Amino acid sequence: MTRWYGWGLTTLGLTAGATLWEIAGRHTSPAFLVPLSETLARLVELGRSGELWVALLSSLLLFATGLGLAVLIGVPLGLLLARIQSLRVALEGYIAFLNATPMAALIPFILSIMGFGFAPKVLVVLLFAVFPLLYNTVEGARSLKPELVEVARSFRSGEMALWRDVLLPFVLPFALTGFRQAIGRALVGMVAAEFFLSASGLGMLIQQDANSSDTAGVLGVILLITLLGVALMELGNALEHRVAVWRGLRR
Amino acid sequence: MTEAVERAPPRLVASVTLKLLAGLVLLALWEISVRLWAPAYVARPSGIVLVLLPVLSSTPFLRAAAATLGAVAEGLLIALLAGIVVGIAMGRSFVVDRVIRFYMFALFAMPMVAILPLITLWLGYTDGARLATTVFAAYFSIALNAADGARAVPSEYLEVGAAFRAPRTRVLVGIVLPASLPYLLAGIRLAAARALIGAVLAEFFISVDGLGTYILYNSRSYHHNEAMVGVLVLAGIGMGFEALVNWVTRRYFPWYRRDETPR
Repeated sequence: MTRWYGWGLTTLGLTAGATLWEIAGRHTSPAFLVPLSETLARLVELGRSGELWVALLSSLLLFATGLGLAVLIGVPLGLLLARIQSLRVALEGYIAFLNATPMAALIPFILSIMGFGFAPKVLVVLLFAVFPLLYNTVEGARSLKPELVEVARSFRSGEMALWRDVLLPFVLPFALTGFRQAIGRALVGMVAAEFFLSASGLGMLIQQDANSSDTAGVLGVILLITLLGVALMELGNALEHRVAVWRGLRR
Repeated sequence: MTEAVERAPPRLVASVTLKLLAGLVLLALWEISVRLWAPAYVARPSGIVLVLLPVLSSTPFLRAAAATLGAVAEGLLIALLAGIVVGIAMGRSFVVDRVIRFYMFALFAMPMVAILPLITLWLGYTDGARLATTVFAAYFSIALNAADGARAVPSEYLEVGAAFRAPRTRVLVGIVLPASLPYLLAGIRLAAARALIGAVLAEFFISVDGLGTYILYNSRSYHHNEAMVGVLVLAGIGMGFEALVNWVTRRYFPWYRRDETPR
């Protein structure tokens, strides 16, 4: 009952929002806002011409490459820090510092050193995404009780078994929290790289439309990016929830 | 390698030495690799040290830092006031929550940099556009965390309020708001980081006076050492804010565990 009531309210909210957008769009200058219907029509048009799919694929490739590299670098490094305590103590402060640094500020350096092309953009996405992964993995490593390792040792656990039964199960849930945060940051990095380095993908599409005063195009692509963000974040949440019980959090 | 984990945590002095040593190694690696492989204009520690004081005491730099910090602080304040109101309404009212939750979540998930062209379309290339970006970047994480906090208020607290026949506004201001403060602080910590990124990206886009613009212009004219000072100051602001929020949380809400942070 409550469930249906809730869904009803959500539908009501979405309908009201769509109606408001439609009405506001019809009563303002098209340079500011266009109705939802026009925005969607423009989005379909962009999709028909193929322009949208090319841009989306290019953006997703950039996103996936950057995030993938961040995982390949961040998680093994985090696990290594979990295993070697002195290395963690030595580096955790610097990782926290870099995690708090707005990586966006490094974009001009990357532009002037690496110029245009795919690699500098991947580096931007990687820099945005890797520190939340690393930071959370180190948090996991920090809360790994030395007793757990001692118990494993006193049962004559080998290095392999120690990783399989203690380190990975303990640290991976934290890494997944980092992964969820990294998804959001990588998305920002993706659009920022497409705006401020060589223009490509959805970012370029937004800017092209903005330059030609195609408000419907701008709004349409932003709508698409928002849906992409929601889908990716839901994916991250789902992954995290799968292991949240295991980590001992009621969520 | 094996003993390292099993030994008791190193003593304070040893751990500080270790940290300092690691810092020196990292700086040396940076310095050497730039000297060996990078063009001469690329920032390196020895170059940054030389320009550090002149840059930090120059008027354009201070003006830029003040502009960025001011926009972030103002944006955070606006986002905080609006976020508390909407967040608590979401947390305490099922109807409000269901009607607007999708929007809040979608706008939270949206990369804020994507709307820069739209914001400049609406507000022009102005300070106001930067402020709007910081508000937008900060608002949704504050509101969503405030909502989580308001939802998690123990029912005993509310029962006490009911027993004393407290009016609804007093319950919200006197019970729900203080009880959800730890969640709100977690939201503020995240929001501050997002607002800082938002401000820098907005400055790249609209070129108003600020640290982002300072970094952009200096790196364009190959003054990378000077530009890197700007990055360090931004990192310092980010770090300082995080430390402040963590300190407040530990000092006033010691029972609040950090990994309960939902977002």
